[in-house]
Amino acid sequence: MGNVMSASFAPECTELKKKYDDCFNEWYSEKFLKGKSVENECSEQWYSYTACVDAHLIKQGIKPALDEARKEAPFEEGGAIKDED
Amino acid sequence: MRLFQNSYDFNYPWEQVTAANWKKYPNEVSTHVIAVDVLRREVCRQGRQLVSERLITVKQGVPKWITMIVGASNLSYVREVSVVDLDSKTLTLRSCNLTYSNILKVFETVRYSPHPEDPQNKTLFNQEAQITAFVAINKLCNKLEEFSVQRFRDNASKGKQGFDSVLEVFSAQWDKMNGAVNDSHSAIINGNFDLIKNAFRNKN
Repeated sequence: MGNVMSASFAPECTELKKKYDDCFNEWYSEKFLKGKSVENECSEQWYSYTACVDAHLIKQGIKPALDEARKEAPFEEGGAIKDED
Repeated sequence: MRLFQNSYDFNYPWEQVTAANWKKYPNEVSTHVIAVDVLRREVCRQGRQLVSERLITVKQGVPKWITMIVGASNLSYVREVSVVDLDSKTLTLRSCNLTYSNILKVFETVRYSPHPEDPQNKTLFNQEAQITAFVAINKLCNKLEEFSVQRFRDNASKGKQGFDSVLEVFSAQWDKMNGAVNDSHSAIINGNFDLIKNAFRNKN
C-alpha cells in the first residue's frame, strides 16, 4: 500500500520509473529537505526513465495536449496560468 | 464557472507530508489514479526550491450522457506542476486536465503549509478548483459543471482519506528511520538506549 510505487502511464516505463523513484525519494528526504543538496542526484536513473516517457508521450498521442498546457501554464511560472491578453 | 474550496489539517509535520506527497499514489481509496509520471524536475535557488511537472493518469467511469458529449473513454490525463519551497515552507501543486479540455477545464491549486497553530506537528491543506464547461447548450453546460463539481468533491474526499492512509504507513517508516539515528547517537553518547528511545517515542 504505502510502500507500493505507482506505475507509469506506459507499462514499458514502470520499471525505470521505480528505479528513479527509489533514488529520488531517498534524495528528497535525506538531502533536499535537510538543505544538503543543490542538485538532483539521480540523473542516471532520470535519463533512462525520461527517455522512455518522452517516447511514449508521442506514441500515445499525449504530447500535443501537453504542449498546449505547457504554453498556458508554464513550468517556469510554477504552473500558474499565464494572464490572457 | 464554478468554484470548489476545501481545507483541512493533517496531523503530521510539513516536511513529512511533502515527502509522502511523492508516494501518495497508489493508495487504497483513490483507486481512480492509476499512474503518476514525472516529466520534468529542477532544483532551483541553490537547493531551496524543487519544481516538478507530473502527468497523472486517471481511470474513472463517467455517466453515459457525458461519454456522448466527450466521446467514449474512461481514461484521462492531468498535468500538474508543483513547487516545494523550503524558505516559505510551502508545497504548491497546480493542475489542469489535458483530456477533454475543449469541453471542460478544471484548474486546481493545492497548498500544504505548516499549521499556524501547531507548525511543528501539523500541516494545513488548502484546495481550490475552478471548473468551467464550454458547451454551447446552456442547460447541458450547467449539468456538466454540476456533475464535475460533485465528482471533484467525491475525489477530494477520497484524496484526503487515501493520503491519510499513506501518511500513516510513511510516518511509521520515517519515525523508525529517525529513531534509529537517535538510538545510535544515544548509544555513543551515554549508552542509555531505552531512555532516549522512549523519549523519542513519547515525543511523537
